Amino acid sequence: MNGGNHPSDVEHKYRAQRAPCNRELASELAHISADITDPVIKLKYLRGAMDGRAGYERSVQQVPLAGVRRVLYRLRGLEALDPLASDAAARATIRPETLIARTKARRMVSGTLAAGLLFMPALLAGVVLTLDPKPAKTAAAKPQLPPAPVVRQVVAPEVPPTPAEPLEADSLGVQPSTIWLADRGPDWELYSNGLRIETAYTVEGEPRSYRVHDRNGVLQKSVFTRPVGILFHTSESDLWPLEADYDKQIRRSSAGLLRYVRNTRAYNYVIDRYGRVYRIVDDETRASHAGHGVWAHGDEVYLDLNSAFLGVSFESRWEGGRTLPITRAQLIAGRNLTNYLRQRFAIAPEMCVTHGLTSVSPRQHLIGYHRDWARGFPFEAFGLPDLYAQPPPSVTLFGFGYDDEYLRAVGPWTGLTAANEALAREAKARSISVTALRAERRAAYQLWVNQLRGKNAGAVEIPAQQANKRG
Amino acid sequence: MDDRNDTGAESSNEAGAGSYSGNAATTRIGLDVGTSKIVTARGDSKRSESASQLNAFLAVPYTALAQSTLQQQGIPYYREGDELIVYGSASEKFAHMFNAESRRPMAKGILNSREPSAAHVLEAILSTLVPPARQSGEVIAFSVPAASAETGADLTYHEETLKRYLKGRGYTPLAVNEGLAVVLAELADESFTGIGISCGGGMCNVAMSYLSIPSLAFSIAQGGDFIDAAVGSVVHESATRVKAIKEDDLDLTRSTDDKIRKALHIYYDKLIESLVDELHRAVGRSQKLPRTDKPLPIVLAGGTAMPVGFRDRFEQTLRKRTLPFEVGDVRLAKDPLTATARGALVAALAEG
Repeated sequence: MNGGNHPSDVEHKYRAQRAPCNRELASELAHISADITDPVIKLKYLRGAMDGRAGYERSVQQVPLAGVRRVLYRLRGLEALDPLASDAAARATIRPETLIARTKARRMVSGTLAAGLLFMPALLAGVVLTLDPKPAKTAAAKPQLPPAPVVRQVVAPEVPPTPAEPLEADSLGVQPSTIWLADRGPDWELYSNGLRIETAYTVEGEPRSYRVHDRNGVLQKSVFTRPVGILFHTSESDLWPLEADYDKQIRRSSAGLLRYVRNTRAYNYVIDRYGRVYRIVDDETRASHAGHGVWAHGDEVYLDLNSAFLGVSFESRWEGGRTLPITRAQLIAGRNLTNYLRQRFAIAPEMCVTHGLTSVSPRQHLIGYHRDWARGFPFEAFGLPDLYAQPPPSVTLFGFGYDDEYLRAVGPWTGLTAANEALAREAKARSISVTALRAERRAAYQLWVNQLRGKNAGAVEIPAQQANKRG
Repeated sequence: MDDRNDTGAESSNEAGAGSYSGNAATTRIGLDVGTSKIVTARGDSKRSESASQLNAFLAVPYTALAQSTLQQQGIPYYREGDELIVYGSASEKFAHMFNAESRRPMAKGILNSREPSAAHVLEAILSTLVPPARQSGEVIAFSVPAASAETGADLTYHEETLKRYLKGRGYTPLAVNEGLAVVLAELADESFTGIGISCGGGMCNVAMSYLSIPSLAFSIAQGGDFIDAAVGSVVHESATRVKAIKEDDLDLTRSTDDKIRKALHIYYDKLIESLVDELHRAVGRSQKLPRTDKPLPIVLAGGTAMPVGFRDRFEQTLRKRTLPFEVGDVRLAKDPLTATARGALVAALAEG
């Protein structure tokens, strides 16, 4: 062997950090490599199996059935034994049953190829339908949302398109122009867009009652009792692998979560990992989901988010600087629920926001006290504008800051950068430092909050019908 | 290095370097180039032997008598101007003899830029452990630290220096992350999945491996030397004496009234805290963490991890933190001093 056989890419693979392979492939490779006794042969095997895996993984991930994906990964794993199986010494370190499985896999592949040759046209059509990673984008294929009947004219911020999980066939069917209650049972409601809400856990929360400021800091006299927004959360609970073997644990974990949320009145809705939507705290009443938060829309500034927003929580959690991926079932259910709530309460798209974007710590004057969905919420798949591109009102209006730990965990995002730039511009225009400007805004926040605490002096109750027309 | 005397077979005193008699066609070398020690592992997948040298040197004034003494005793040295440079493990004995402190060609895991003759000395030490390749292009895998804020561009220089030297000896050099090498040596039964931590003299290296692929690697520029220097400074003792006590009988599970040992406890805790802090930060910001539901085992290696109780203290500190994965066993490598070299050997054999 000579040096020319070791190009730099070979060398870098023992030092350069790389993205790990996906769990399904890893599971198969770990299973097969467990049957190899010699560490060196095992390492050769794993390295060989993972060479050039990225393209293969991308293709296999397009296959919708987990069982089929597992088979494909298993085949890949067994094929990777080929270079080793030709060496008698290496063969001796591999469990005989595994080698037999490899031979069978080869036969199966050969058989499939022969069948493929016989039924080439049908096979080609199937491959195009299932494996093409970049389906042609057509207007018809794009997810279409029924227009929400928003009363107030809303100017959506210009946002760049964000990558989002594409929806498949479900977005191609006929959608009802409005959503209505199609059927109901003792513990469930079925809506015309396919949304099914489980109501067995539903309880009453505290009555909604809140006021809003305008951007000049004037506390409006009106008291509202209907929600005007949706705040998306993650449940921050235990997650089990989404596999049949863990079904019992998944269900047990969800049941525990639901009991906890009901007892603490933590959210209005919970969407479990199978996509079941549970109404916990009744829509007309408030859940304790938001803590301290700030959001604004149009001329209105919201500081009591528990009252103004419905809390919708996905069974998932923020971990390692990201929200763990929700399931396809949760995504579809969440979208249906969002459409239903937006229609029912005339909620503007810009009022469908994530907890991580609104949460603040007043004591430390920092954003990101809670970080669920601080990034990664699939706004586009929900037919919503990308609010990560919008300057957060907590920063622009009240000068909330962030620390290094936040930047490390969440990283800078477009809206935050824009907000900081806006503050810097304003400070420059007023010939004061950004620090002084932030201090000024901090004092304003405290003042506004104090006004809310002494609330309802001079307040005027707004009838529900009128409040319903706010957006 | 014309005047180098490397015929002393210095390392044969350690662990039989050069005595391995395996099949030449399959013998490969794994090399751990540590700040305080250089260790080799050689052999095949069934059997390996290790050898080591202190990564240190001592300059003594040249006299004909001194040179003759060194030659007679077979001590490796070379002459540079009007000095004799004694290198490797022998330098420590001579340091005691001359009541002087030996010097290091490396600091914080890489070549010491403050030592003008660092590369020269390092090559001299390597020459006692790495014989010329039997066949041109034989693979030799050597450990390199993960990049850190402290190492910067110097890491590239360090690595290139080693590569050039090893190529000159007829090898094809293969750089292996030090933490990953620990995983390759110790976690074969777990399909090379877990976290390897090498606590050396100059730094601690950490790598998270998923099926042998490093998904996270970092280092902190604190290790045994940091502890020796910090303790030495607070108790007004030489770092060499502190090191001797540390390596002799330090037991972190027992409280003590001895001021040096007490200070050692304090600075070991500080090192462990820093290591766990950085691990917590690194996994928090990583985008490449493996998504596995199985607990990840952690293996500790390196001389700094050897005192009794180190593993326990590390585990206690670690388990107080919330990490985005479940931590499995925390264990000490079978032979902490040779783990990195043995892991590099596994890589050399797999690629050879």
